[in-house]
Amino acid sequence: MLNVRLFDITTLLFGVASVNYVAALYGKKETWARIGTWICIAAAVVSTAALGVRWAESYKMGIGRIPVTNLYESLVFFAWSVNLFYLLVEWKYRTRAFGAFVIPIAFGTMLFAFTNESSIQPLVPALQSYWLHAHVITCFVGYAAFAVSAGVAVMFLMKAKREERKMTGGVVGVFPPTKVLDDLVYKAIIWGFPFLTAGIITGAAWANYAWGTYWSWDPKETWSLIVWLVYAAFLHARITRGWHGRRAAILSIVGFLATLFCYLGVNLVLSGLHSYGGA
Amino acid sequence: MTEEKRFESAMDRVWKFFTSLKLAITIIIILASASIIGTIIEQNQPLEKYRQFYSDGTIRLFDALNLFDMYHSWWFLLLLVLFTVNLSCCTIDRLPRVVKVVRNPKTTLDGNLEKTLGHVDRWKKKGDLLKVAETYQAALGKAFSKPRLTENSGTFHLYAEKGVISRFGVYITHLSIIIIFIGAIVGNVLGFKGFANIVEGRSVQTIPTRGGTNHVDLGFSVRCNKFWVDFYPSGQPKEYASDLSIIENGREVLRKKIVVNDPLQYKGIWFYQSSYGPAGAASATIAVNSSEGGRLSTVSLSPGQKADIPAYGKISAVDYRENFQGLGPALLVVLEQPGKPHTEFWLLKAYPDFDRQRRDTRYLSFAGVDQIFFTGLQVAKDPGVNVVWVGCTLMVVGIIIAFFMSHQRLWIRLSRGSDGRVEVVLAGSANRNRLAFEKRFEKIQADIRAVEIG
Ligand code: HEM
Repeated sequence: MLNVRLFDITTLLFGVASVNYVAALYGKKETWARIGTWICIAAAVVSTAALGVRWAESYKMGIGRIPVTNLYESLVFFAWSVNLFYLLVEWKYRTRAFGAFVIPIAFGTMLFAFTNESSIQPLVPALQSYWLHAHVITCFVGYAAFAVSAGVAVMFLMKAKREERKMTGGVVGVFPPTKVLDDLVYKAIIWGFPFLTAGIITGAAWANYAWGTYWSWDPKETWSLIVWLVYAAFLHARITRGWHGRRAAILSIVGFLATLFCYLGVNLVLSGLHSYGGA
Repeated sequence: MTEEKRFESAMDRVWKFFTSLKLAITIIIILASASIIGTIIEQNQPLEKYRQFYSDGTIRLFDALNLFDMYHSWWFLLLLVLFTVNLSCCTIDRLPRVVKVVRNPKTTLDGNLEKTLGHVDRWKKKGDLLKVAETYQAALGKAFSKPRLTENSGTFHLYAEKGVISRFGVYITHLSIIIIFIGAIVGNVLGFKGFANIVEGRSVQTIPTRGGTNHVDLGFSVRCNKFWVDFYPSGQPKEYASDLSIIENGREVLRKKIVVNDPLQYKGIWFYQSSYGPAGAASATIAVNSSEGGRLSTVSLSPGQKADIPAYGKISAVDYRENFQGLGPALLVVLEQPGKPHTEFWLLKAYPDFDRQRRDTRYLSFAGVDQIFFTGLQVAKDPGVNVVWVGCTLMVVGIIIAFFMSHQRLWIRLSRGSDGRVEVVLAGSANRNRLAFEKRFEKIQADIRAVEIG
């Protein structure tokens, strides 16, 4: 189907952009990174079109539903959000150094999506709910912000280590100063946190409408709470003396790992009520 | 140290302990880590299930630690209590200070304050001191927000602020957590969750509660008038629905067709479409016609049961096909007549006259199969749920206020300089999002400097 072709092209674009950004970092050639930016913009256009086409195609099949309801769709939506979030950051902070740490996340996600069932499946009754749509969209926007934050946190740790040893130059030389990195780790999370909060709440509302319980401690719910708690710990760490910088960056990375587990691990490793993966 | 003093300092230390942010971070991390356990060990399963995975010793150990129902265990609840106490103490400790600062803002810019502020600008202006003050007051009102003017031994001070509420975002967020807890407790104490399977045409009034052996009397009864299920071509269920009636004092007071995600509510009790299943075996209906074509009677056939057709014979159904050789639904029947060998033949639903070919005194037609279903309903009463939603809304609002608004303050000090001109000092600060404030400050600075003294 056309939408899947378009997503395949998006995957390819993310791959090429990742190579460009990494090459720019190690080869110290800004031109490469600039090409990377244009490829990411192209990927944004193609993937947005693909989401629209998929939506339209679902209507043509008589199923008619928003394209965020199975594993494949949630993965491409996540990659779409990461890319847009990244482009926003690149534009605001006027540096392309982040690309090498963030766009590969989008690329990896699309590769993983590629290995999953991509056809448009009808929805079982429990998933036919507007709350569910709001739930998935808010969650994944939040996840995308956390992905950006974790990517930058890795940069922070690399740079802080170099600075500690009073070394200059190398790849880290082109990174923005640690203060800027630390700030961006935080800024991305203050966007992600409200979205995750709204995501958990809309999920609870959906469960309440479908089953009459807003919280039942099923593994998916519990893991989303764990993720939320890790970021809550991060937010408080930021305002506590001695927890700035390194520890906050580590919490951001731990938070993103927990996010990944919540998103994929729960279905692959644990079981739950959710529709993703679960096969 | 006297007894009293020692006691006070001990109290002090306890208080410090409970108001510390480090404790908060620790508890949050412990809560997160502990929550993992219950996602790995399946919760609330029957003992036989656990026996498949764990040895008896392990089961005893896990049971002693309440790990099979850990989210309701005493130690997990204790953690939540500790969390709540910590949160409350922090609020009691800090909120009054914030209120005080907000209610009595520092409206004059003295030297000490000036040193602590990030944005300071100074210039000189010709003109009358009061006149300059009043002009700047109007200008600042236009460019930022209406300032207060105070005079202190010949020096004029202007003070203006915006976004005071941002100081309270954190407290709204914290309060919302406590509100959600209260809602959850109310729901647990005053509500119940149950389950009901109702066969089409039947009704229930008492409901077994989930997990337990208790029953709740609803005070009215629920009848399932009809149940439907639709399938996608792939065989997945597309929609299932129940037509329910609420019957109170012998009268139907409410009737609604519910589907998954669209429940029925009566007197605070909600009924959710949750599952379904066949109630007993399906039955087939057969019409008996005279050879001239008049309908004489209908008989209903259940599997393994023989039905009598008066003055004709006994009939039973032995097979059913959804689609028999492309001719649609068909029923294989066996006919037993006195003094004759048994005969076995197919009846086709789409061709009611098909059986005429036997050229007997009667011919039979297949009217279809009937399956009676039961509908599976989740039944819930939760008087705390709206409290929870209020908490959730406040939480999102509080977080947005805390993160995206900032308390911005501006001061202007005007004094008569030694050269006769008015010395102006403009200073400002914001408690967060300083970059955005810097731009705003620069704009205001330019605006105020450009003002003509009329
Ligand atoms: C998981 C639950 C919690 C959530 C979601 C939460 C949320 C927040 C948020 C959003 C902030 C603002 C952070 C910032 O300005 O960057 C904050 C600050 C704060 N939180 Fe929490 N919090 C939680 C638990 C707690 C607990 C248990 C305490 C107990 C001590 C606490 C004490 C504080 C304090 C003292 C501040 C700083 C307030 C200030 O800036 O003056 N929080 N919290």
